[in-house]
Amino acid sequence: MTHSKTITLTVNGKAVTAAVEPRTHLADFLRERQLLTGTHLGCEHGVCGACTILIDGEPARSCITLAVACDGHAVTTVEGLDGDPVAADLREAFSTEHGLQCGFCTPGMLVSARDVVLRRPTADDNQIRVEMSGNLCRCTGYVGIVNAIRRVLDARKTAAE
Amino acid sequence: MAHASGVGARVRRKEDERLLRGRGRFVGDIALPGMKELAFVRSPVAHARIRGVDIPEEHRAAVFIWADLAMDGVKPIRAVSGLPGFKASEQPALADGKVRFVGEPVAVCIAATRAEAEDIAAQVFVDVEELPVNADMLEAVKPGAPRVHEHWSDNVFLETNVGGAIAEIAATAPVKVTRTIRTARQCMVPLEGKGVVAHWDRHVEQLVLTTATQMPHIVRAGLSECLGLDQGLIRVVAPDVGGGFGWKGLLQPEEVVAGWLARHLDHPVRWTEDRREHLVAAANCREHHYEITAYADERGRLLGLEADAWVDAGAYSVYPFSACLEAAQVGSILPGPYDFRHYRCRTFSVCTNKPPIVPYRGVARTGVCFAMEQMIDAVAEAVGREPWEVRLENLVPPDKMPFDNVTKKHFDSGDYPESVRRAVAAIELDGWRARQTRGEPDGRLIGVGVATYCEQSAHGTAVYYGWGIPMVPGHEQAQARITPDGGLELRVGVQSHGQSMETTFAQVAHEVLGIELARIKLVHGDTALTPYSTGTWGSRSMVMAGGAVATACRTLAERVLRIGAHLLQGRPEDARLVDGCVRVGQASIPIRDIAHTWYRAPQLLPPDVDRGGLETTCGYKPKSDHGTFSYATHAVAVAVDPELGSVEILDYVVVEDAGTMVNPMVVDGQIYGGVAQGIGTALYERMPYDDEGQPLASTFMDYLIPGFTEVPHVRILHMMTPSPYTEFGVKGIGEGGAIAPPAALCNAINDALRPLGARVTDSPMTPERIIAAIHDASTSAAASTAEATR
Amino acid sequence: MKAVGFDYERPTALDHALELLARDDVSARAVAGAQSLGPMLNLRLAQPDLLVDITHIAELRQIRREDGTLRIGACVTHARLEDGDYDDATRGVLPAVAAGIAYRAVRNRGTIGGSVAHADPAADWIATLTALGADVVVAGPAGRRAVPVSDFVLGVFETDLQPGEIIAEFRVPALSERARWGYYKVCRKAGEFSHATGAVLVDPARGVSRAVIAAASGRPVVVDDPEVIHGNGCRPERIADLLAGTPIGGDAFEVNTHTVALKRAIAQVTA
Ligand SMILES: Cc1cc2nc3c(=O)[nH]c(=O)nc-3n(C[C@H](O)[C@H](O)[C@H](O)COP(=O)(O)OP(=O)(O)OC[C@H]3O[C@@H](n4cnc5c(N)ncnc54)[C@H](O)[C@@H]3O)c2cc1C
Ligand code: FES
Ligand code: FES
Repeated sequence: MTHSKTITLTVNGKAVTAAVEPRTHLADFLRERQLLTGTHLGCEHGVCGACTILIDGEPARSCITLAVACDGHAVTTVEGLDGDPVAADLREAFSTEHGLQCGFCTPGMLVSARDVVLRRPTADDNQIRVEMSGNLCRCTGYVGIVNAIRRVLDARKTAAE
Repeated sequence: MAHASGVGARVRRKEDERLLRGRGRFVGDIALPGMKELAFVRSPVAHARIRGVDIPEEHRAAVFIWADLAMDGVKPIRAVSGLPGFKASEQPALADGKVRFVGEPVAVCIAATRAEAEDIAAQVFVDVEELPVNADMLEAVKPGAPRVHEHWSDNVFLETNVGGAIAEIAATAPVKVTRTIRTARQCMVPLEGKGVVAHWDRHVEQLVLTTATQMPHIVRAGLSECLGLDQGLIRVVAPDVGGGFGWKGLLQPEEVVAGWLARHLDHPVRWTEDRREHLVAAANCREHHYEITAYADERGRLLGLEADAWVDAGAYSVYPFSACLEAAQVGSILPGPYDFRHYRCRTFSVCTNKPPIVPYRGVARTGVCFAMEQMIDAVAEAVGREPWEVRLENLVPPDKMPFDNVTKKHFDSGDYPESVRRAVAAIELDGWRARQTRGEPDGRLIGVGVATYCEQSAHGTAVYYGWGIPMVPGHEQAQARITPDGGLELRVGVQSHGQSMETTFAQVAHEVLGIELARIKLVHGDTALTPYSTGTWGSRSMVMAGGAVATACRTLAERVLRIGAHLLQGRPEDARLVDGCVRVGQASIPIRDIAHTWYRAPQLLPPDVDRGGLETTCGYKPKSDHGTFSYATHAVAVAVDPELGSVEILDYVVVEDAGTMVNPMVVDGQIYGGVAQGIGTALYERMPYDDEGQPLASTFMDYLIPGFTEVPHVRILHMMTPSPYTEFGVKGIGEGGAIAPPAALCNAINDALRPLGARVTDSPMTPERIIAAIHDASTSAAASTAEATR
Repeated sequence: MKAVGFDYERPTALDHALELLARDDVSARAVAGAQSLGPMLNLRLAQPDLLVDITHIAELRQIRREDGTLRIGACVTHARLEDGDYDDATRGVLPAVAAGIAYRAVRNRGTIGGSVAHADPAADWIATLTALGADVVVAGPAGRRAVPVSDFVLGVFETDLQPGEIIAEFRVPALSERARWGYYKVCRKAGEFSHATGAVLVDPARGVSRAVIAAASGRPVVVDDPEVIHGNGCRPERIADLLAGTPIGGDAFEVNTHTVALKRAIAQVTA
């Protein structure tokens, strides 16, 4: 008999307290308990990146992170990026460059892409590809996604000049 | 008249907004009150008799086996082909007495959460008596091989024979090349797995199955047959679907089980396929084996082609495509885009102890192109010419279009040779050849490969009635309805899961009616809301449903013009539709006002107004429904590391002709995505099985699909030869990208390996295989030197 | 694909963690970033009764330089090692290797201690720390002990870790100014686990000349033969000898791939 744990964390800026089974991974907690279904599950073993969210502002795999381990931390999902300026630029660019088809990989892509934009502002296309390599897409062949990230990086460079 | 956002416009997608905010709705996102989760107990072995299923007493009420379903009259899935000699298989949704592949569902467990359902599943023990296994198709066809279905005479679903006498050509042809070629069994891997939520709607008295499918109407038909429920008692809904590629184009045992459970238990149930289930238990595709000989003259002009082909179809025939579609298709399409007169092909759909294979993007074409394009390169090598020249020698020239080839495929239009010329120019072949001669400082070997194919797409009744499978596409229907506020609703029975139909069909409607895109709503993927359709497969949706949308919109345009002319006090024959307004001379009235009149001010309508009003359902078929033929030439440059056997793609060019493009951005997207999958087929993807039929890849750690760094920035060049048979001249484009990459890459790798005398013939072309080829070449070279010096 | 039920504790003191791990009434297991354990839990390849999360123990997250040694707490993440915001006694080796592990989202949580404890033969830290000549410091009911990483990893997913013990930190000797480092991984995809790894450290000032063959489905093979590193001994026959006894010792393709990996790592040093 295992015991559930009461955890308190911030989800998309709001404090949440909930009892969870320790075995519940963060993605299931977000999807099934918080009804934040924008976070998708494509493999549940850390490879595909569809479940990528932010923990304390850093990208992480929610399928191999236990919800209990997030007690006291801040979690941001794609739904929480509505008002984020970088995410807004990326959404615009993804649409312009056809960076999504079925849209299943897209939430994870946006979270990782946002991290690339912030952490690697000078990345060339090759570096974009390497940095994004932890997110799989079966539909787009990646060209539109690389172009979208390129577009945002270029725009930010121009804006900074 | 071209509209800024009509046919041909590169407009942004209407579906993006919700998906970019994580507010799509996929099956796994649906939670209904009282819903329980399912987990399947699956066969641990490939072939066995089931002695019993031990269910712990405390879980007896939460576990169901076939006997429970059978008692209720549930029938096995049967997908029979009408082709003569086809042997039918029966696939019970849960194994009945016998299991025939690892992962076959044996029992289903039900609990409040998936984790708890899996806890129960872990305690259910399947007691099996193992039987000898057919793990390899070539072994399975040998006399004495164990039977997958005992009452059959052998393990062949179907043998087909196409073409005829070729002995004379074989005896006299100056050039003869023979190859043994094999493609691996693969998994389709849409990023979202399969999933289903089922419940009984007490008000409507319908079983509602929300499922990740490409073909809701076909799933309904299949469910009806298995569950013994009238189709009127079933509603199938496809919500947002996270990619399909064929995997969601069939009736699945789990859907039958979920449907039965929802009714039997009277509460909603949900099953979501996890990645391990996807890789291990299902979703298999593409395992071909060819023994193939090409005959040619000294210039490389093909005189004839002869082949035996085997397809490992797995244990059961899938609904609706059956177990023979793939192999039989090999027979009819192996000649590809080439013009030659003598052909013989024998195919076998072999039954083995592996999961049933399902048609995957490109279906047999990827394997066929892989085989045929290797043969073209082989002929070129034999006659000492550039492979692209030999292609030009044999491709159907534009002045012969339309053209009936050796298997009576009716090519509609296009300039196939020009696609080769442009591809060779775009890849800058001369530059690579010079670099090959110079050699690379890092010792890698440069190679360039070309592959050409044509793809029959959107083929209809004329093609499918001959297969005699559970589904024959006829007239595709679309419903169009102008809403009281002047917007437009379109309803189609095909289903969009990445193909962007919410946008492209709106573009088609906009082209005809001029209503702004933002005000056009596409309803799709729901048997209750849309006309019947065989669904989204065979690159058919834009040709067929797009054509139906155009037809329905034209019918409405007609009616709108009549009402408009009346309101403007003009003559209908003087009225025109311009930018969403009816114009007569200088006078103009927007469709919005006409809609208002029909719905809310009918007293103003002309007395002879069409009583169908501003709503219609129209059927459509192209003038010829033998299919449109889109085609392309892919050219690729690679660097092969002869020490490690690794392959880097240095440049990749696609020259394609999809006829008229409704939205070039979307067409490009389909091609990019297809090429990425083709690169997976070529270099990475393989679902290996051991001799006992155990699958050896069960995660993305061991089943590799290409990521950002494995797929190059593909360059696409368009040709646009409209099809003479379709609305706007569109052709099917959804699958094409995935067809040629294995062939082009194989030819490129072999071009690189040529100085070493090495050659690969099987996909995927892994480092192991490339190193083995180099090793074999050097040992045989050494042996022949030894021979010579002796 | 959901884990079996288990309990979870998150102590903030090392002693408390050791106490929990010492329980013999349940199968207790440490968890750090869960980037290896997480998949195993989901696949039910690991079925513990109790997980002890050690990532909130402050001392395990420290990284500091002490004279000639860099001390890296077990729970330091790959991402932190990548970002290099510490006094890096390895002169860039750690950040470069870290950057090549998996993907940023994994690196943000995965830890160096978890990686070595997990002992996947293909893991980057195992090859790297072995080549760097690092020690692992293990804490257990009986106190602390230091073991060279090369001796600590015993085989595939097998270490010298005794029941109730955890890895507390690593001690990495500082490289001298003229040290040369070579590292070559054979991967088919970016971020994938390596199929063959060659790692080489040549640090004449400290008299070190060491090569490592890793990802060879067993413990890493340490090579100090100057003929291999400095001569032309890095050939398949020699590497086959070195790999003899491992599951791939007789596999010509594998031997070849490892030979090439090592040769290319060596080339970086001698270039
Ligand atoms: C998609 C993917 C790709 C990857 N690619 C690579 C790669 O290219 N190279 C590479 O090296 N790694 C790779 N990894 C593994 C990654 O580096 C993990 O982070 C690492 O192996 C484990 O670290 P962790 O902190 O996550 O450990 P956990 O998963 O928490 O634990 C792993 C094991 O170690 C034990 N453990 C953890 N910490 C300690 C400790 N301090 N003392 C004793 N036992 C402990 C646990 O009980 C468990 O048995 C990859 C992982 C994923 C998901
Ligand atoms: S679902 Fe988490 S990485 Fe695939
Ligand atoms: S858009 Fe479908 S998986 Fe990326």
